[in-house]
Amino acid sequence: MREKNIMMENGQPLSEELLKIPAEQFEMIERAEEIVDADFRTESVSYGKDVLRRFLHDKVTVVAAVIVSLIVLMGIAGPYMSGRSYLAQDRTRTNMPPRIPVIEKLGILDGTQVMTIRKSSLEEYQPYIKKNYGEFESQSAFGKGVMYKVKVDMYSLNGIPDQYYWFGSDSLGRDIFSRLWQGTRVSLILAVAVVVVNLTVGLIVGAICGYYGGWIDLIIQRLMDIIWNIPSLPLTILLIMLFGSGILPLVLAFCLTGWMGNANSVRMQFYRYKGREYVLASRTMGASDLRLMFRHILPNAVGTLITGCALSVPSVVFQEAGLAYLGLGVQAPNPSIGILLSDGQKVLLDYPSQLVFPGIVIVLLMLAFNLLGNGLRDAFNPSLRQ
Amino acid sequence: MVKYVIQRLIAAFFTFLAIIVVVFFVLHLMPGNIIDHSNKLDPAIRTLIEDKYHLNEPMIVQFGYAMRDYLRFDLGYSVKVNPGQPVFNIIASRLAVTVQLNYFSALVILPIGLLLGITMAIKKDSLYDNVASSLVILTISVPSFVLAALMQYLLGFKLGWFPLLLAPEEHLNWTKFYSMIMPILALSFGGIASIARTLRAELAEVLTMDFMQLAKAKGLSYGQTITRHALRNSCVPLASTFLYLFLGVLGSSLVIEQIFGVPGMSKIMLAAINGKDHWLTMGCIIFYTLIGLLMAILADLSYGIVDPRIRMGGGKDA
Repeated sequence: MREKNIMMENGQPLSEELLKIPAEQFEMIERAEEIVDADFRTESVSYGKDVLRRFLHDKVTVVAAVIVSLIVLMGIAGPYMSGRSYLAQDRTRTNMPPRIPVIEKLGILDGTQVMTIRKSSLEEYQPYIKKNYGEFESQSAFGKGVMYKVKVDMYSLNGIPDQYYWFGSDSLGRDIFSRLWQGTRVSLILAVAVVVVNLTVGLIVGAICGYYGGWIDLIIQRLMDIIWNIPSLPLTILLIMLFGSGILPLVLAFCLTGWMGNANSVRMQFYRYKGREYVLASRTMGASDLRLMFRHILPNAVGTLITGCALSVPSVVFQEAGLAYLGLGVQAPNPSIGILLSDGQKVLLDYPSQLVFPGIVIVLLMLAFNLLGNGLRDAFNPSLRQ
Repeated sequence: MVKYVIQRLIAAFFTFLAIIVVVFFVLHLMPGNIIDHSNKLDPAIRTLIEDKYHLNEPMIVQFGYAMRDYLRFDLGYSVKVNPGQPVFNIIASRLAVTVQLNYFSALVILPIGLLLGITMAIKKDSLYDNVASSLVILTISVPSFVLAALMQYLLGFKLGWFPLLLAPEEHLNWTKFYSMIMPILALSFGGIASIARTLRAELAEVLTMDFMQLAKAKGLSYGQTITRHALRNSCVPLASTFLYLFLGVLGSSLVIEQIFGVPGMSKIMLAAINGKDHWLTMGCIIFYTLIGLLMAILADLSYGIVDPRIRMGGGKDA
């Protein structure tokens, strides 16, 4: 048994003399006497308050929540911030390197690019060269030549020294900053749509199965077994083939099996709680089935459901990005993070920044949502803390 | 037990049948046609092709022909991607490299993942555990394709340590293995992280149980209590992961294959889908469906083998 500090109500440690009162000084209180004990001066803590307190107590989770809200904010406002549309193409300014106003003074993200040029074109590039890495011999099909490796200010070279493409531009001259946040928006909308559908369907099916049980439960469970066993990859590809690639078919593909996790956890909670005395009491007082289901039993499952939702957002974003790599993501002009990543992959060796920025955003997004989900799980159900 | 397996197999067969029917009709009812419908094609030749593949007959008759072929284990011939080649041979030839990749990555994942998970659980809440846990969460959050792309740029292009794409050698030799290192690594990180995380959670829970104290009281050394008692009890959720690793041809390897130019299943399936090569598409989907169904059954059975307390199918004597 660990030594515990006994505290007084105001938080002061109990003094030595109070701890060692000799036995004969104690006297019995009679019922008729006035009780001079202090009143309890605590406020009642509801479940919600308790969860919130545990949630705010975990700093990592709070940081994750802040990052999530920042990403959501950027998904809303980001596409308009640079003043360039995410669709506007400019063939004269393709593949511009990133350039950000204040940071450019540090020597990074300053709109420069390392190029290899021939000695004869050195004159032509001279005014734009920021740094010369020296010459080297190169052997090519056109014979030997002296080449220079130089860092060129691409913005002055293109005659726009006062412009800023914060994250650069892509191979069609579209602003990557706008595209990135538009893509974030599309990916998040997709994820939220999937989560909402999964939650609604899972909730209804799980509630019906768990509450009524019997043969309804049995039939639905068998049907779920069948759907569950369909391999998801061919299924997804088929759905996309059937309906064409767009947000709606993707939502459908992700939802076809996605709702089952929710349905199962709701069903389990219903089985666990529907026989409890408080439910019986409410039923005796004439509460309807719907009221019993959603007012009395469902709140027990809320924690699991919210956690599940938070954790399924990154998984949807991840899966969509994977499909985009295979050329099955959302439709072409509308970017998603996955589309941007797969576009960046195509020019990876020449312009790595086009992959790095979407990469950073998707990693941040997945990390933040994963941490948020874990934090929510711990907050809702501290006994599961790992 | 046997009864349960048979039940599962029958259920799986019907699922398989349902999927095949749906896939067949979806494929054949899709807009567009297998044959080029431009005027360049001689009508006589078109009729010839249509006759050969029964394309001018009602859908249900076509379905009958397809089913008859499938019953004879004949998956038909590719018409566009590798014209004239039997679908079965195409899949078999493309499968090898995909399976190789997955096996090698399983060989990387298992020892590292197990070691990491066990050490993390034993040293729970230590500095090592905290650092490793953060790394694990980070690794889970970095999509494998982003990792693959970064490796391709940094290790392959900037430092020049590894070749950018898979070597086109026919057989597995050193050059080919060397070029497989990056794809293998890209495939492995996620697996290592998820095994380590699951094992740590399970093992940490088992370590607090009473029978661990009993094992110690019996006089077993610390290592013995871990290997004989704790690990066995935390293996159940890992059983299916192990299986998926060793039978694994599904999963994220499709994207990784795409990035590193691996001529595996992903390439053939995407080419088949985009080229409307229905027989090849059907073959790929049948293959993936079979693997998926088998895996689900095996995973269920493996629970019972790893932990005999889990009863099969709710039977009393199983």
